[in-house]
Amino acid sequence: MRLLPVFAAATLAISALAACGGNDSSESDASTATSGTVNWWGWTPTDTATANAYIAAFNQKFPDIKVNYKLVNISDWVAALRPALASGNGPDVFDMQPGAYVTQFKSFAEDQTKLAEDALGAGWKDKVAPIGISGLTATESTQDGGKLTAMSVGSVYAGMLWLNGDIFKKYNLTAPTTLDEWKHVCQVLKQNKVGCFVQGAAQEGFDQDTLQSIANSVQPGLWSKASTGDAKWTDPGIVKTLAIWKDLFDSGIMQEGAVGYQQYPDANNDFLTGKYGMIMMGTWYTQYATTKAMTAALSAAGVSGAKPFPIVPAAFPDVAGAGNTSEMYGDADFGLAISTKSKNKAAAETFVKWMATSAEGQQAIADQLNDIPSVKGVEPDFTKIELVDPATQKGPVEDLITKSGSITEPRESLLSADVQTGILAAATSVATGKSTPEDAAKALQQAAEAAGVTFK
Amino acid sequence: MTGTSTPTLHRAASVSDEADGGGRRRGPRRPPGLPWILPALVLSVGLIYYGIGYTGYISTLNWDGISPGPEHVGAHNYTRMLHDPVFWAAVRHTALFFVLTFVVQTLVGLTFAVLMHSKLKLAAIYKVIVFVPVVLAPAIMAPVFRHMFAPDGELNAVLRHIGLGDLAQPWIGQTSTALPVIMFITIWEWTGVTFVLYYAAMTQIDPSVLEAARIDGAGNLRTLRSIIWPELRGTTVALAMLGAIGALKTFDVPYLVTIGGPNYATEFLGTYIYRQTIPLSHVGYGAALSIVLLVVALLMALALQFAGREREGR
Amino acid sequence: MFEIRSRTGRIFLQIFATVLLIPFAFPLVVMVKGAFAGEGLGNFQAVLRVPGFGRFFVNSLIIAAAVIVLVYVVTMMAAFGFAKLHIRFREVYFWLLLACLTLPEVVLLAPLFATDTKLGLYDTYWAVILPLAALQVPFAVLLTRNFINSLPDELFEAARVDGANSYRGFIYLVIPLTRPIGAAVLIFTLVAAWNDYLFPLVFLQSPDLQTITLVPQFFVGEFSNDQTKILASAVITAIPEIVAYLSLQRLFERGLSAGAIK
Repeated sequence: MRLLPVFAAATLAISALAACGGNDSSESDASTATSGTVNWWGWTPTDTATANAYIAAFNQKFPDIKVNYKLVNISDWVAALRPALASGNGPDVFDMQPGAYVTQFKSFAEDQTKLAEDALGAGWKDKVAPIGISGLTATESTQDGGKLTAMSVGSVYAGMLWLNGDIFKKYNLTAPTTLDEWKHVCQVLKQNKVGCFVQGAAQEGFDQDTLQSIANSVQPGLWSKASTGDAKWTDPGIVKTLAIWKDLFDSGIMQEGAVGYQQYPDANNDFLTGKYGMIMMGTWYTQYATTKAMTAALSAAGVSGAKPFPIVPAAFPDVAGAGNTSEMYGDADFGLAISTKSKNKAAAETFVKWMATSAEGQQAIADQLNDIPSVKGVEPDFTKIELVDPATQKGPVEDLITKSGSITEPRESLLSADVQTGILAAATSVATGKSTPEDAAKALQQAAEAAGVTFK
Repeated sequence: MTGTSTPTLHRAASVSDEADGGGRRRGPRRPPGLPWILPALVLSVGLIYYGIGYTGYISTLNWDGISPGPEHVGAHNYTRMLHDPVFWAAVRHTALFFVLTFVVQTLVGLTFAVLMHSKLKLAAIYKVIVFVPVVLAPAIMAPVFRHMFAPDGELNAVLRHIGLGDLAQPWIGQTSTALPVIMFITIWEWTGVTFVLYYAAMTQIDPSVLEAARIDGAGNLRTLRSIIWPELRGTTVALAMLGAIGALKTFDVPYLVTIGGPNYATEFLGTYIYRQTIPLSHVGYGAALSIVLLVVALLMALALQFAGREREGR
Repeated sequence: MFEIRSRTGRIFLQIFATVLLIPFAFPLVVMVKGAFAGEGLGNFQAVLRVPGFGRFFVNSLIIAAAVIVLVYVVTMMAAFGFAKLHIRFREVYFWLLLACLTLPEVVLLAPLFATDTKLGLYDTYWAVILPLAALQVPFAVLLTRNFINSLPDELFEAARVDGANSYRGFIYLVIPLTRPIGAAVLIFTLVAAWNDYLFPLVFLQSPDLQTITLVPQFFVGEFSNDQTKILASAVITAIPEIVAYLSLQRLFERGLSAGAIK
């Protein structure tokens, strides 16, 4: 009776096809470099309006290439994209996320090394953010190894907090830099019946962010080492990370019921409607520093007539008290891949080149403040962007963008889906008091070994 | 002919027994019926059994769903289940979920059905409110429930408003209340069907029997227990069967409301199959779980049907 | 059922029913309230302004109508065959069909996709209509068989004596007499077809073929999630189903009461 979706077996189907379908690459290309129709599928930009704005800018230069954007929710991405690509009638261009999706979709994606060389010259690797290349290249030693599956359009970085400027000003608070200061801020806010910090702890991605930041405060680089197998998850540093994580719940920094919260929409809506003073979000959140996006977000959360407030970036506190500044980390947000079965490859290449490598395309990305553009030296044009409160926001936001340029630590691209599940299990079992940090670390280590990570 | 009202000359139960066996004895031989059921068999049985066979094959593979040349592992995916704590947790949740949702749905559905037959004012509106959840897609209602059960959601707001603030809690954010929330949502969604079927079945009860009981001095509750309830047994068995199958297939509500969490507190067989197959790409294991689910569902349906027939008596 | 003669008894019963109803009404109130939060009616306008909204609506109608017709025809025939005609091993066939009720959709996707592409059905309405119908038929046959069982055999025997074959019996007796259970089949099938999200998502990829259940996607993204408009689209999506239920309610209840499931 309960009829509804399990998207599952889509996976099987496609693979069956991919396996037996064979590659008929002799398809004639109906497009030229300056004309044709390109169907683009993505989970981001998350609103069609933004995508259409990019397309409009693109059409100023290439009026004869028609681009159709189809938004597919990230949770339906695999289920919808696989059959479409396998059928041969799917999109010409599709979004690619570093990590697990590269493995899943690499066989459907054209190698873009030549496109990059054409657009940026032989030294192209020095002209774009390195994190965008590594994350979107298929792992050597596997099938399609070394293939550049997509051109990175922009990157996102995390390992920081965003503060509600109005709340901090009203209660005369400053951004916490240690665990004790963090607890103090929360105490003050609680006395005034304002929420302190909000996190969607039900989802692995955002738990990982917080854990990775804590780990970077305990021992810089340890998290990445554990991810690659150079350190064990049972390392005392990881156990301590989990113990501090537990402390965030026990000391009331985490909001009540955090393990039932999803970062989107729950935590996001609560923060944007001014119920909490702090949230763990990355550079993609910069877009809400603008009046336009903030106003739209408020209305999306169901609040009418609310006044936009300034959000301000802050470093993650040194929660371990070991004197380490907690380094940030990041990945390519998305790259654009070209389908091997596209019948409009020439036009598709023109579009990808424009988005990922041209000055105009990258400027459009930068000004959106969702991604840090892939090509080095492109920065948002703050003369055209209206911040809610330039006096308090402009400095910190510009600093953040500059700082991002030098980040090399990967965010999620080192972790397989199985390990991520293990991390979520560790995080929630510790948070709910079902496991001690030691036991949770042991279980996580076992999960990683079972998932095929080899440890030294 | 077209204008005749629903024939209610015979009660379904007795007639169905007749139709099952007695046709030949009582009249001319019936014309062949196989061609008539063929389209249904081709459409449903053909399509669906093909799917089951395919899945059965996949369940013997160790496969991520992409790589060519998957490895044949025989029954390994099935033995793996025995040592998988999440699988057993999912089984426990599914069983508990079925028992509780079935009992509550039956009680509430029956109560409503009795009340709506008792000359209640505004019964027409009440009926619609109970049934409307059936037509609303869980995908559509999920955000509503996430909102409603949030720490600062409508439920806690109401509790605080009526002075029960102490009861306010993060309903879907703690392992102890998350499963009950999932059950509540399911009960909300499906009681309409239970109600409608009981309501319909009650119209078939001969009023003179009720009248006779009243004359004998039986009170309302007594009548309900000893006359109405036994008359509804067929419906109850059918609902139990549908409920058991539904519980085994449960996916959308826990997936959309709690993502199986916190800490696997609301993991069901349905959500676990999804988790293994799509996000984790353990396609072979997911297929093996699907096959186990099918077998259990079939056994449950047979057992319930059998129990129902046995106790129906003659 | 209950006979309450006293006034206080009636009032008590009314209050009891109302209290019991609160948990059912509450989520509906939350939904409608949420749909009007923020921009109020503007939310609904925004949903209606989604490019192609009319097209999606029509697609959903086409798919639902086709599924209903298919399920109706196949079910009526099968139920008639099971109830009134001679079939050797009848119960075996019936249980083969009923077993299909236990199938979760997961299991169907892979084989369906393989077949769809072979037959050229991928990205056509058929790719959605056929599996939806296949999944609805077992329950519909279960309902309808019982209903037809309860029609007196004498009717059919009399028709046969008058020289009518099975086909005429079907057209002139079964179809008109089963209108009430037909309404029930229609409602249940409509709900399943209209609400389905999975099959259109996986099997239809042209924007021209998308269905209305995919509309909330326009407001759900990774980094923005427009609750009010999602709820507004939920309300709009539910309207056709509620209208269908309300207008068929009496026939529906009559159908279930004569057939009921046993």
